[in-house]
Amino acid sequence: MHQSTFARTMRTIAGWLVVGLFFFPIYFWTSVAFRDAKDIFNWPPILFDFKPTVRNFEQVFGISLGFGRPEAVTPGGGNFYMAPRLLDSIIVAAFSTMLAIVVATLAAYALSRMNFRGRHQFVNWVLSTRMMPPVAVAIPMFFIFKQFNLLDTYTGVIIVHGIMNLPLAVLLLKSFFDDIPAEIDESALLDGASRWTIFRRIVLPMARGGIAATAVLCFIFSWTEFLFVLTLTQTSLKTVPVVSSTFVTSIGTAWGNMAALGAAAIVPAFIVILLVQRHLVRGLTMGSLKQ
Amino acid sequence: MSVAQVKRIAISDSPWPWLLPLVALLVVFTIYPLVYNVWLSFHEFAPRTRALKFVGVANWVQLWNDARFWGALSVTFVYFFVALVIEIALGMAIALLLDAELPGFGALRAILSMTLVIPPAIAGMMFLLLQDPQFGVVTYVLNSLGILDKSTPILATSSTALAGVLLAEIWQWTPFMVLIFLAGLRSLPTEPFEAAMIDGASSFQMFRRLTLPMMSRVIAVAVLIRGIDLFRVFDYVFTMTSGGPGTTTYTLSYYAWQQTFSFLKWGYGATLSLTSLVIIMVLANLFLRVAKVRW
Repeated sequence: MHQSTFARTMRTIAGWLVVGLFFFPIYFWTSVAFRDAKDIFNWPPILFDFKPTVRNFEQVFGISLGFGRPEAVTPGGGNFYMAPRLLDSIIVAAFSTMLAIVVATLAAYALSRMNFRGRHQFVNWVLSTRMMPPVAVAIPMFFIFKQFNLLDTYTGVIIVHGIMNLPLAVLLLKSFFDDIPAEIDESALLDGASRWTIFRRIVLPMARGGIAATAVLCFIFSWTEFLFVLTLTQTSLKTVPVVSSTFVTSIGTAWGNMAALGAAAIVPAFIVILLVQRHLVRGLTMGSLKQ
Repeated sequence: MSVAQVKRIAISDSPWPWLLPLVALLVVFTIYPLVYNVWLSFHEFAPRTRALKFVGVANWVQLWNDARFWGALSVTFVYFFVALVIEIALGMAIALLLDAELPGFGALRAILSMTLVIPPAIAGMMFLLLQDPQFGVVTYVLNSLGILDKSTPILATSSTALAGVLLAEIWQWTPFMVLIFLAGLRSLPTEPFEAAMIDGASSFQMFRRLTLPMMSRVIAVAVLIRGIDLFRVFDYVFTMTSGGPGTTTYTLSYYAWQQTFSFLKWGYGATLSLTSLVIIMVLANLFLRVAKVRW
Protein backbone atom coordinates (compact mmCIF):
# COMPACT_ATOMS: atom_id res chain seq x y z
CA MET A 1 0.00 0.00 0.00
CA HIS A 2 1.34 3.44 -0.89
CA GLN A 3 1.56 6.00 1.81
CA SER A 4 2.70 9.56 1.66
CA THR A 5 6.05 10.53 3.14
CA PHE A 6 4.20 12.43 5.83
CA ALA A 7 2.16 9.38 6.82
CA ARG A 8 5.28 7.22 6.88
CA THR A 9 7.09 9.70 9.10
CA MET A 10 4.17 9.94 11.50
CA ARG A 11 3.94 6.20 11.63
CA THR A 12 7.65 5.83 12.34
CA ILE A 13 7.43 8.37 15.16
CA ALA A 14 4.35 6.68 16.62
CA GLY A 15 6.04 3.28 16.45
CA TRP A 16 9.12 4.48 18.30
CA LEU A 17 7.01 6.29 20.90
CA VAL A 18 4.84 3.27 21.65
CA VAL A 19 7.73 0.84 21.83
CA GLY A 20 9.72 3.37 23.84
CA LEU A 21 6.92 3.44 26.38
CA PHE A 22 7.08 -0.34 26.72
CA PHE A 23 10.87 -0.28 26.86
CA PHE A 24 11.02 2.39 29.53
CA PRO A 25 10.54 0.09 32.59
CA ILE A 26 13.32 -2.16 31.30
CA TYR A 27 15.66 0.79 30.84
CA PHE A 28 14.77 2.21 34.22
CA TRP A 29 15.25 -1.07 36.02
CA THR A 30 18.60 -1.73 34.37
CA SER A 31 19.73 1.78 35.26
CA VAL A 32 18.72 1.23 38.90
CA ALA A 33 21.17 -1.69 38.94
CA PHE A 34 23.96 0.82 38.31
CA ARG A 35 22.87 3.36 40.93
CA ASP A 36 23.81 4.31 44.44
CA ALA A 37 20.97 4.40 46.94
CA LYS A 38 20.82 8.20 46.84
CA ASP A 39 20.16 8.10 43.09
CA ILE A 40 17.35 5.58 43.55
CA PHE A 41 15.62 7.39 46.39
CA ASN A 42 15.21 10.81 44.89
CA TRP A 43 12.20 12.97 44.20
CA PRO A 44 11.67 13.76 41.40
CA PRO A 45 12.97 10.41 40.13
CA ILE A 46 16.29 10.61 38.28
CA LEU A 47 16.14 9.18 34.78
CA PHE A 48 19.57 9.66 33.24
CA ASP A 49 21.66 11.98 35.36
CA PHE A 50 23.35 9.70 37.89
CA LYS A 51 26.87 8.46 38.55
CA PRO A 52 27.04 4.78 37.54
CA THR A 53 28.41 2.23 39.98
CA VAL A 54 28.88 -1.53 39.78
CA ARG A 55 28.62 -1.98 43.53
CA ASN A 56 25.19 -3.63 43.32
CA PHE A 57 26.52 -6.31 40.99
CA GLU A 58 29.55 -6.84 43.20
CA GLN A 59 27.38 -7.39 46.24
CA VAL A 60 24.97 -9.71 44.50
CA PHE A 61 27.58 -11.84 42.80
CA GLY A 62 30.30 -11.61 45.41
CA ILE A 63 32.95 -10.47 42.98
CA SER A 64 35.14 -7.41 42.86
CA LEU A 65 35.17 -5.62 39.56
CA GLY A 66 37.77 -3.11 40.65
CA PHE A 67 37.31 0.21 38.87
CA GLY A 68 39.67 1.87 41.31
CA ARG A 69 37.57 1.44 44.40
CA PRO A 70 39.67 0.82 47.49
CA GLU A 71 37.29 -1.26 49.59
CA ALA A 72 37.17 -4.93 48.59
CA VAL A 73 33.98 -6.96 48.33
CA THR A 74 34.17 -10.27 50.12
CA PRO A 75 32.59 -13.12 48.20
CA GLY A 76 29.74 -14.54 50.19
CA GLY A 77 29.65 -11.44 52.33
CA GLY A 78 26.65 -9.16 52.51
CA ASN A 79 23.03 -10.14 52.82
CA PHE A 80 22.32 -10.41 49.14
CA TYR A 81 25.02 -12.71 47.82
CA MET A 82 23.14 -14.47 45.08
CA ALA A 83 25.57 -16.26 42.76
CA PRO A 84 24.47 -19.74 43.99
CA ARG A 85 20.85 -18.84 43.29
CA LEU A 86 21.64 -17.98 39.71
CA LEU A 87 23.28 -21.39 39.45
CA ASP A 88 20.12 -22.99 40.89
CA SER A 89 18.09 -21.30 38.19
CA ILE A 90 20.42 -22.56 35.47
CA ILE A 91 20.46 -26.14 36.77
CA VAL A 92 16.69 -26.36 37.13
CA ALA A 93 15.97 -24.76 33.76
CA ALA A 94 18.58 -26.82 31.88
CA PHE A 95 17.56 -30.22 33.23
CA SER A 96 13.82 -29.60 33.11
CA THR A 97 14.23 -28.49 29.49
CA MET A 98 16.07 -31.71 28.67
CA LEU A 99 13.36 -33.78 30.33
CA ALA A 100 10.59 -32.00 28.45
CA ILE A 101 12.35 -32.16 25.09
CA VAL A 102 13.20 -35.87 25.27
CA VAL A 103 9.72 -36.93 26.27
CA ALA A 104 8.00 -34.48 23.94
CA THR A 105 9.98 -35.28 20.77
CA LEU A 106 9.08 -38.96 21.09
CA ALA A 107 5.41 -38.18 21.60
CA ALA A 108 5.30 -35.46 18.96
CA TYR A 109 6.77 -37.80 16.36
CA ALA A 110 4.05 -40.37 17.00
CA LEU A 111 1.33 -37.71 16.98
CA SER A 112 2.64 -36.28 13.75
CA ARG A 113 3.20 -39.52 11.84
CA MET A 114 0.96 -42.25 13.17
CA ASN A 115 -2.75 -42.45 12.79
CA PHE A 116 -4.65 -43.99 15.63
CA ARG A 117 -8.09 -43.79 17.10
CA GLY A 118 -8.58 -40.95 19.53
CA ARG A 119 -5.56 -39.01 18.33
CA HIS A 120 -7.44 -35.75 18.30
CA GLN A 121 -8.83 -36.34 21.79
CA PHE A 122 -5.34 -37.27 22.97
CA VAL A 123 -3.92 -33.96 21.74
CA ASN A 124 -6.77 -32.14 23.45
CA TRP A 125 -6.05 -33.98 26.68
CA VAL A 126 -2.39 -33.01 26.54
CA LEU A 127 -3.41 -29.43 25.91
CA SER A 128 -5.92 -29.45 28.74
CA THR A 129 -3.19 -30.25 31.26
CA ARG A 130 -1.84 -26.76 30.56
CA MET A 131 -5.12 -25.25 31.66
CA MET A 132 -4.62 -26.41 35.23
CA PRO A 133 -3.98 -23.44 37.48
CA PRO A 134 -0.50 -23.88 38.97
CA VAL A 135 -1.94 -23.42 42.42
CA ALA A 136 -4.25 -26.43 41.85
CA VAL A 137 -1.19 -28.53 41.08
CA ALA A 138 1.24 -26.93 43.51
CA ILE A 139 -0.86 -27.62 46.60
CA PRO A 140 -1.29 -31.39 46.14
CA MET A 141 2.24 -31.57 44.76
CA PHE A 142 3.53 -30.14 48.01
CA PHE A 143 1.99 -33.01 49.97
CA ILE A 144 2.98 -35.67 47.45
CA PHE A 145 6.55 -34.40 47.43
CA LYS A 146 6.53 -34.39 51.21
CA GLN A 147 5.63 -38.09 51.18
CA PHE A 148 8.38 -38.96 48.72
CA ASN A 149 11.02 -36.65 50.24
CA LEU A 150 11.18 -34.57 47.08
CA LEU A 151 10.55 -31.24 48.76
CA ASP A 152 13.48 -28.86 48.50
CA THR A 153 15.32 -31.03 45.97
CA TYR A 154 16.54 -30.35 42.47
CA THR A 155 14.88 -33.54 41.25
CA GLY A 156 11.48 -32.39 42.43
CA VAL A 157 11.58 -28.94 40.85
CA ILE A 158 13.12 -30.29 37.65
CA ILE A 159 10.33 -32.83 37.27
CA VAL A 160 7.59 -30.27 37.91
CA HIS A 161 9.05 -27.72 35.51
CA GLY A 162 9.60 -30.40 32.89
CA ILE A 163 5.98 -31.50 33.12
CA MET A 164 4.72 -27.94 33.15
CA ASN A 165 6.39 -27.48 29.76
CA LEU A 166 5.28 -30.78 28.22
CA PRO A 167 2.02 -29.63 26.59
CA LEU A 168 3.74 -26.69 24.93
CA ALA A 169 6.70 -28.80 23.80
CA VAL A 170 4.51 -31.59 22.41
CA LEU A 171 2.22 -29.31 20.42
CA LEU A 172 5.04 -27.16 19.14
CA LEU A 173 7.26 -30.06 18.11
CA LYS A 174 4.30 -31.75 16.47
CA SER A 175 3.76 -28.65 14.35
CA PHE A 176 7.46 -28.63 13.38
CA PHE A 177 7.36 -32.34 12.49
CA ASP A 178 4.19 -31.77 10.47
CA ASP A 179 6.19 -29.40 8.28
CA ILE A 180 8.52 -32.21 7.25
CA PRO A 181 6.83 -34.14 4.41
CA ALA A 182 5.65 -37.58 5.56
CA GLU A 183 6.62 -38.99 2.16
CA ILE A 184 10.24 -38.95 3.31
CA ASP A 185 9.33 -41.29 6.17
CA GLU A 186 7.25 -43.50 3.94
CA SER A 187 9.93 -44.03 1.31
CA ALA A 188 12.44 -44.80 4.04
CA LEU A 189 9.96 -47.29 5.55
CA LEU A 190 9.66 -48.99 2.16
CA ASP A 191 13.45 -49.18 2.03
CA GLY A 192 13.27 -51.20 5.23
CA ALA A 193 14.29 -48.56 7.77
CA SER A 194 12.66 -48.82 11.18
CA ARG A 195 10.57 -46.05 12.69
CA TRP A 196 13.29 -45.48 15.26
CA THR A 197 15.97 -45.11 12.58
CA ILE A 198 13.82 -42.72 10.58
CA PHE A 199 13.13 -40.69 13.71
CA ARG A 200 16.79 -40.48 14.65
CA ARG A 201 18.43 -40.20 11.27
CA ILE A 202 15.91 -38.17 9.27
CA VAL A 203 13.27 -36.39 11.31
CA LEU A 204 15.38 -35.21 14.25
CA PRO A 205 18.13 -33.63 12.12
CA MET A 206 15.58 -31.97 9.86
CA ALA A 207 13.67 -30.49 12.80
CA ARG A 208 16.80 -29.22 14.56
CA GLY A 209 15.83 -25.55 14.36
CA GLY A 210 12.35 -26.24 15.69
CA ILE A 211 13.67 -28.35 18.53
CA ALA A 212 16.14 -25.61 19.48
CA ALA A 213 13.36 -23.03 19.51
CA THR A 214 11.15 -25.28 21.65
CA ALA A 215 14.03 -25.86 24.06
CA VAL A 216 14.62 -22.14 24.42
CA LEU A 217 10.98 -21.52 25.26
CA CYS A 218 10.94 -24.34 27.83
CA PHE A 219 14.10 -22.90 29.34
CA ILE A 220 12.56 -19.46 29.63
CA PHE A 221 9.32 -20.72 31.15
CA SER A 222 11.28 -22.61 33.77
CA TRP A 223 13.54 -19.59 34.29
CA THR A 224 10.58 -17.30 34.94
CA GLU A 225 8.38 -19.73 36.90
CA PHE A 226 7.53 -18.60 40.40
CA LEU A 227 4.76 -20.47 42.19
CA PHE A 228 6.15 -24.03 42.08
CA VAL A 229 9.59 -23.00 43.28
CA LEU A 230 8.05 -20.84 46.00
CA THR A 231 5.95 -23.77 47.18
CA LEU A 232 8.22 -26.76 46.71
CA THR A 233 11.51 -25.41 48.02
CA GLN A 234 12.59 -24.12 51.39
CA THR A 235 16.29 -23.51 51.78
CA SER A 236 18.52 -25.68 49.66
CA LEU A 237 17.52 -24.23 46.33
CA LYS A 238 15.82 -21.06 45.17
CA THR A 239 15.55 -19.66 41.69
CA VAL A 240 15.96 -16.03 40.72
CA PRO A 241 12.28 -14.93 40.65
CA VAL A 242 11.62 -16.37 44.09
CA VAL A 243 14.75 -15.02 45.63
CA SER A 244 14.14 -11.56 44.21
CA SER A 245 10.89 -11.32 46.13
CA THR A 246 12.85 -11.76 49.37
CA PHE A 247 14.74 -8.52 48.82
CA VAL A 248 11.85 -6.70 50.42
CA THR A 249 12.79 -6.65 54.11
CA SER A 250 11.47 -4.96 57.18
CA ILE A 251 14.29 -2.39 57.03
CA GLY A 252 13.54 -1.50 53.43
CA THR A 253 14.03 -2.92 49.99
CA ALA A 254 17.45 -3.49 48.45
CA TRP A 255 16.36 -2.05 45.13
CA GLY A 256 19.85 -1.70 43.73
CA ASN A 257 20.80 -5.31 44.48
CA MET A 258 17.48 -6.57 43.23
CA ALA A 259 17.80 -4.63 40.01
CA ALA A 260 21.29 -6.05 39.52
CA LEU A 261 19.98 -9.58 39.95
CA GLY A 262 17.02 -8.81 37.71
CA ALA A 263 19.24 -7.38 34.98
CA ALA A 264 21.47 -10.44 35.19
CA ALA A 265 18.39 -12.64 34.86
CA ILE A 266 16.89 -10.77 31.93
CA VAL A 267 19.87 -10.11 29.71
CA PRO A 268 20.90 -13.72 28.96
CA ALA A 269 17.28 -14.72 28.44
CA PHE A 270 16.83 -11.90 25.99
CA ILE A 271 19.94 -12.78 23.99
CA VAL A 272 18.71 -16.35 23.68
CA ILE A 273 15.24 -15.26 22.63
CA LEU A 274 16.69 -13.08 19.86
CA LEU A 275 18.29 -16.21 18.41
CA VAL A 276 14.93 -17.94 18.06
CA GLN A 277 12.80 -14.89 17.42
CA ARG A 278 11.58 -16.35 14.15
CA HIS A 279 9.95 -19.22 16.03
CA LEU A 280 8.89 -17.21 19.06
CA VAL A 281 5.24 -16.62 18.19
CA ARG A 282 4.74 -20.18 17.09
CA GLY A 283 6.08 -21.32 20.43
CA LEU A 284 4.05 -18.96 22.55
CA THR A 285 0.86 -19.97 20.80
CA MET A 286 1.83 -23.65 20.91
CA GLY A 287 1.99 -23.87 17.16
CA SER A 288 -1.68 -23.12 16.65
CA LEU A 289 -0.87 -20.27 14.25
CA LYS A 290 1.31 -21.59 11.51
CA GLN A 291 3.57 -18.83 10.29
CA MET B 1 12.47 -60.81 26.76
CA SER B 2 15.38 -60.87 24.40
CA VAL B 3 17.02 -57.69 23.19
CA ALA B 4 15.68 -58.35 19.70
CA GLN B 5 12.13 -58.60 21.04
CA VAL B 6 12.45 -55.39 23.02
CA LYS B 7 13.75 -53.70 19.91
CA ARG B 8 10.88 -54.97 17.80
CA ILE B 9 8.31 -53.66 20.25
CA ALA B 10 10.07 -50.32 20.49
CA ILE B 11 10.03 -49.85 16.73
CA SER B 12 6.60 -51.26 16.05
CA ASP B 13 4.08 -49.01 14.40
CA SER B 14 1.93 -48.65 17.47
CA PRO B 15 2.16 -45.08 18.72
CA TRP B 16 1.95 -46.10 22.36
CA PRO B 17 5.63 -46.88 22.99
CA TRP B 18 6.36 -43.39 21.77
CA LEU B 19 3.62 -41.84 23.87
CA LEU B 20 4.29 -43.89 26.99
CA PRO B 21 6.75 -41.55 28.75
CA LEU B 22 4.43 -38.62 28.12
CA VAL B 23 1.34 -40.46 29.32
CA ALA B 24 3.14 -41.78 32.39
CA LEU B 25 4.39 -38.35 33.43
CA LEU B 26 1.08 -36.64 32.77
CA VAL B 27 -0.90 -39.25 34.66
CA VAL B 28 1.42 -39.29 37.65
CA PHE B 29 1.78 -35.53 37.81
CA THR B 30 -1.61 -34.24 36.71
CA ILE B 31 -4.23 -36.89 37.33
CA TYR B 32 -2.82 -38.08 40.64
CA PRO B 33 -2.57 -34.54 42.06
CA LEU B 34 -6.09 -33.90 40.87
CA VAL B 35 -7.43 -36.96 42.66
CA TYR B 36 -5.33 -36.08 45.68
CA ASN B 37 -6.79 -32.58 45.62
CA VAL B 38 -10.33 -33.94 45.60
CA TRP B 39 -9.48 -36.21 48.52
CA LEU B 40 -7.82 -33.33 50.36
CA SER B 41 -10.88 -31.14 49.93
CA PHE B 42 -12.82 -33.52 52.20
CA HIS B 43 -10.20 -33.28 54.91
CA GLU B 44 -8.73 -30.60 57.08
CA PHE B 45 -5.44 -30.24 58.88
CA ALA B 46 -5.87 -30.35 62.62
CA PRO B 47 -3.04 -28.32 64.17
CA ARG B 48 -3.33 -29.97 67.56
CA THR B 49 -2.87 -33.55 66.36
CA ARG B 50 -0.83 -32.43 63.35
CA ALA B 51 -2.79 -34.78 61.14
CA LEU B 52 -5.46 -34.67 58.49
CA LYS B 53 -8.97 -35.26 59.69
CA PHE B 54 -11.96 -36.26 57.57
CA VAL B 55 -14.49 -33.43 57.60
CA GLY B 56 -16.94 -34.48 54.91
CA VAL B 57 -18.34 -31.64 52.84
CA ALA B 58 -17.53 -29.01 55.46
CA ASN B 59 -14.98 -27.31 53.20
CA TRP B 60 -17.46 -27.10 50.36
CA VAL B 61 -20.15 -25.67 52.63
CA GLN B 62 -17.62 -23.17 53.94
CA LEU B 63 -16.73 -22.22 50.36
CA TRP B 64 -20.36 -21.46 49.56
CA ASN B 65 -20.71 -19.22 52.62
CA ASP B 66 -17.29 -17.62 52.40
CA ALA B 67 -17.61 -13.94 51.48
CA ARG B 68 -13.84 -13.79 50.88
CA PHE B 69 -14.09 -16.55 48.30
CA TRP B 70 -16.83 -14.71 46.40
CA GLY B 71 -14.80 -11.55 46.75
CA ALA B 72 -11.71 -13.29 45.35
CA LEU B 73 -13.78 -14.73 42.52
CA SER B 74 -15.08 -11.31 41.54
CA VAL B 75 -11.60 -9.75 41.78
CA THR B 76 -10.33 -12.53 39.52
CA PHE B 77 -13.08 -11.92 36.99
CA VAL B 78 -12.55 -8.16 37.02
CA TYR B 79 -8.82 -8.66 36.55
CA PHE B 80 -9.49 -11.20 33.79
CA PHE B 81 -11.88 -9.04 31.79
CA VAL B 82 -10.12 -5.71 32.16
CA ALA B 83 -6.72 -7.13 31.28
CA LEU B 84 -8.04 -9.23 28.40
CA VAL B 85 -9.99 -6.38 26.79
CA ILE B 86 -7.17 -3.87 27.13
CA GLU B 87 -4.48 -6.30 25.99
CA ILE B 88 -6.46 -7.29 22.92
CA ALA B 89 -7.48 -3.77 21.90
CA LEU B 90 -4.08 -2.26 22.59
CA GLY B 91 -2.29 -5.26 21.11
CA MET B 92 -4.30 -5.03 17.91
CA ALA B 93 -3.75 -1.28 17.61
CA ILE B 94 0.01 -1.60 18.08
CA ALA B 95 0.18 -4.58 15.72
CA LEU B 96 -1.59 -2.57 13.01
CA LEU B 97 0.82 0.30 13.63
CA LEU B 98 3.93 -1.88 13.44
CA ASP B 99 2.75 -3.97 10.48
CA ALA B 100 4.79 -1.96 8.00
CA GLU B 101 8.19 -2.23 6.42
CA LEU B 102 9.59 1.04 7.68
CA PRO B 103 13.20 1.58 8.74
CA GLY B 104 13.81 0.23 12.24
CA PHE B 105 10.48 -1.57 12.61
CA GLY B 106 12.18 -4.95 12.78
CA ALA B 107 14.17 -3.70 15.75
CA LEU B 108 10.98 -2.34 17.35
CA ARG B 109 9.33 -5.75 17.14
CA ALA B 110 12.40 -7.34 18.73
CA ILE B 111 12.44 -4.77 21.55
CA LEU B 112 8.76 -5.48 22.25
CA SER B 113 9.46 -9.18 22.73
CA MET B 114 11.84 -8.31 25.59
CA THR B 115 9.02 -8.05 28.08
CA LEU B 116 8.20 -11.72 27.58
CA VAL B 117 11.42 -13.09 29.05
CA ILE B 118 11.15 -11.16 32.29
CA PRO B 119 9.91 -13.31 35.14
CA PRO B 120 6.49 -11.91 36.16
CA ALA B 121 7.62 -11.90 39.78
CA ILE B 122 10.50 -9.61 38.84
CA ALA B 123 8.22 -7.48 36.64
CA GLY B 124 6.03 -7.11 39.73
CA MET B 125 9.02 -5.85 41.68
CA MET B 126 9.86 -3.43 38.86
CA PHE B 127 6.42 -1.91 39.04
CA LEU B 128 6.57 -1.85 42.81
CA LEU B 129 9.47 0.57 42.51
CA LEU B 130 7.91 2.50 39.62
CA GLN B 131 4.76 3.01 41.70
CA ASP B 132 6.56 3.68 44.96
CA PRO B 133 4.70 6.53 46.70
CA GLN B 134 7.91 8.37 47.51
CA PHE B 135 10.29 7.75 44.61
CA GLY B 136 8.29 6.11 41.82
CA VAL B 137 8.24 7.33 38.25
CA VAL B 138 4.59 6.40 37.72
CA THR B 139 3.69 8.27 40.90
CA TYR B 140 5.66 11.24 39.64
CA VAL B 141 3.96 11.28 36.24
CA LEU B 142 0.45 10.90 37.69
CA ASN B 143 1.27 13.55 40.26
CA SER B 144 2.56 16.00 37.62
CA LEU B 145 -0.51 15.45 35.49
CA GLY B 146 -2.68 16.14 38.49
CA ILE B 147 -4.36 12.73 38.23
CA LEU B 148 -3.21 11.41 41.55
CA ASP B 149 -2.13 13.14 44.70
CA LYS B 150 1.36 12.15 45.85
CA SER B 151 0.05 11.30 49.30
CA THR B 152 -2.01 8.48 47.79
CA PRO B 153 0.09 5.32 47.56
CA ILE B 154 -1.15 3.52 44.44
CA LEU B 155 -0.67 -0.05 45.64
CA ALA B 156 -1.81 0.60 49.18
CA THR B 157 -5.06 2.40 48.37
CA SER B 158 -8.05 0.18 47.92
CA SER B 159 -9.47 2.08 44.95
CA THR B 160 -6.22 2.02 42.95
CA ALA B 161 -4.36 -1.14 44.04
CA LEU B 162 -5.92 -3.43 41.43
CA ALA B 163 -5.21 -0.87 38.71
CA GLY B 164 -1.61 -0.78 39.90
CA VAL B 165 -1.30 -4.56 39.57
CA LEU B 166 -3.06 -4.46 36.19
CA LEU B 167 -0.52 -1.91 34.97
CA ALA B 168 2.29 -4.47 35.37
CA GLU B 169 0.14 -7.19 33.82
CA ILE B 170 -0.81 -5.09 30.80
CA TRP B 171 2.73 -3.81 30.34
CA GLN B 172 4.15 -7.32 30.27
CA TRP B 173 1.55 -9.08 28.10
CA THR B 174 0.33 -6.53 25.57
CA PRO B 175 3.55 -7.13 23.57
CA PHE B 176 2.65 -10.82 23.54
CA MET B 177 -0.64 -9.95 21.86
CA VAL B 178 1.17 -7.65 19.45
CA LEU B 179 3.48 -10.46 18.35
CA ILE B 180 0.61 -12.89 17.82
CA PHE B 181 -1.49 -10.36 15.93
CA LEU B 182 1.49 -9.32 13.82
CA ALA B 183 2.04 -12.95 12.84
CA GLY B 184 -1.64 -13.15 11.92
CA LEU B 185 -1.63 -9.90 9.95
CA ARG B 186 1.43 -11.04 8.04
CA SER B 187 -0.30 -14.21 6.92
CA LEU B 188 -3.40 -12.46 5.50
CA PRO B 189 -3.83 -12.56 1.71
CA THR B 190 -3.35 -9.18 -0.01
CA GLU B 191 -5.89 -9.56 -2.85
CA PRO B 192 -9.06 -8.69 -0.87
CA PHE B 193 -7.40 -5.51 0.39
CA GLU B 194 -6.33 -4.46 -3.08
CA ALA B 195 -9.85 -5.05 -4.39
CA ALA B 196 -11.32 -3.01 -1.53
CA MET B 197 -8.88 -0.17 -2.22
CA ILE B 198 -9.99 -0.03 -5.82
CA ASP B 199 -13.60 0.09 -4.63
CA GLY B 200 -12.64 3.07 -2.52
CA ALA B 201 -13.09 1.57 0.92
CA SER B 202 -11.77 3.56 3.88
CA SER B 203 -9.12 1.99 6.07
CA PHE B 204 -11.61 1.68 8.92
CA GLN B 205 -14.06 -0.15 6.63
CA MET B 206 -11.28 -2.47 5.49
CA PHE B 207 -10.34 -3.17 9.11
CA ARG B 208 -13.95 -3.95 10.08
CA ARG B 209 -14.97 -5.90 6.98
CA LEU B 210 -11.74 -7.67 6.10
CA THR B 211 -9.01 -7.66 8.73
CA LEU B 212 -11.18 -8.39 11.74
CA PRO B 213 -13.09 -11.36 10.25
CA MET B 214 -9.95 -12.87 8.77
CA MET B 215 -8.14 -12.47 12.07
CA SER B 216 -10.90 -14.07 14.12
CA ARG B 217 -9.07 -17.37 14.56
CA VAL B 218 -5.87 -15.64 15.59
CA ILE B 219 -7.81 -13.54 18.09
CA ALA B 220 -9.53 -16.65 19.44
CA VAL B 221 -6.19 -18.37 20.07
CA ALA B 222 -4.82 -15.25 21.76
CA VAL B 223 -7.90 -15.00 23.98
CA LEU B 224 -7.66 -18.66 24.95
CA ILE B 225 -3.96 -18.69 25.77
CA ARG B 226 -3.92 -15.37 27.58
CA GLY B 227 -7.27 -16.00 29.24
CA ILE B 228 -6.05 -19.20 30.87
CA ASP B 229 -3.04 -17.39 32.32
CA LEU B 230 -5.05 -14.36 33.39
CA PHE B 231 -7.48 -16.44 35.35
CA ARG B 232 -4.72 -17.96 37.46
CA VAL B 233 -2.79 -14.77 38.16
CA PHE B 234 -0.54 -15.13 41.19
CA ASP B 235 2.95 -13.71 40.74
CA TYR B 236 2.04 -10.04 40.45
CA VAL B 237 -0.34 -10.20 43.38
CA PHE B 238 2.20 -12.01 45.53
CA THR B 239 5.06 -9.59 44.87
CA MET B 240 3.14 -6.34 44.59
CA THR B 241 0.30 -6.29 47.10
CA SER B 242 -0.02 -9.67 48.86
CA GLY B 243 -3.74 -9.37 48.24
CA GLY B 244 -4.06 -6.07 50.00
CA PRO B 245 -4.98 -3.48 50.92
CA GLY B 246 -7.74 -5.35 52.71
CA THR B 247 -8.89 -7.91 50.19
CA THR B 248 -9.03 -5.66 47.14
CA THR B 249 -6.43 -7.59 45.15
CA TYR B 250 -7.15 -11.09 46.43
CA THR B 251 -7.36 -13.37 43.44
CA LEU B 252 -8.53 -16.96 43.59
CA SER B 253 -5.03 -18.38 43.17
CA TYR B 254 -3.58 -16.11 45.82
CA TYR B 255 -6.40 -16.87 48.26
CA ALA B 256 -5.96 -20.62 47.78
CA TRP B 257 -2.22 -20.34 48.26
CA GLN B 258 -2.60 -18.22 51.37
CA GLN B 259 -5.16 -20.53 52.96
CA THR B 260 -2.83 -23.48 52.43
CA PHE B 261 0.58 -22.10 53.24
CA SER B 262 -0.08 -19.17 55.56
CA PHE B 263 -3.12 -20.37 57.49
CA LEU B 264 -2.38 -24.11 57.13
CA LYS B 265 -5.97 -24.71 56.01
CA TRP B 266 -4.78 -27.49 53.73
CA GLY B 267 -8.16 -28.90 52.94
CA TYR B 268 -9.80 -25.56 52.33
CA GLY B 269 -6.88 -24.44 50.17
CA ALA B 270 -7.34 -27.58 48.08
CA THR B 271 -11.07 -26.87 47.80
CA LEU B 272 -10.35 -23.37 46.54
CA SER B 273 -7.73 -24.46 44.04
CA LEU B 274 -10.02 -27.21 42.78
CA THR B 275 -12.80 -24.68 42.30
CA SER B 276 -10.50 -22.47 40.28
CA LEU B 277 -9.47 -25.47 38.18
CA VAL B 278 -13.09 -26.39 37.46
CA ILE B 279 -13.97 -22.82 36.45
CA ILE B 280 -11.01 -22.60 34.04
CA MET B 281 -11.77 -26.00 32.53
CA VAL B 282 -15.42 -25.18 31.96
CA LEU B 283 -14.73 -21.73 30.53
CA ALA B 284 -11.86 -22.89 28.32
CA ASN B 285 -13.80 -25.83 26.92
CA LEU B 286 -16.87 -23.70 26.27
CA PHE B 287 -14.64 -21.23 24.49
CA LEU B 288 -12.91 -23.96 22.48
CA ARG B 289 -16.31 -25.19 21.34
CA VAL B 290 -17.72 -21.78 20.45
CA ALA B 291 -14.58 -20.46 18.77
CA LYS B 292 -13.78 -23.80 17.09
CA VAL B 293 -10.09 -23.54 17.89
CA ARG B 294 -8.29 -26.69 16.84
CA TRP B 295 -4.74 -27.77 17.25
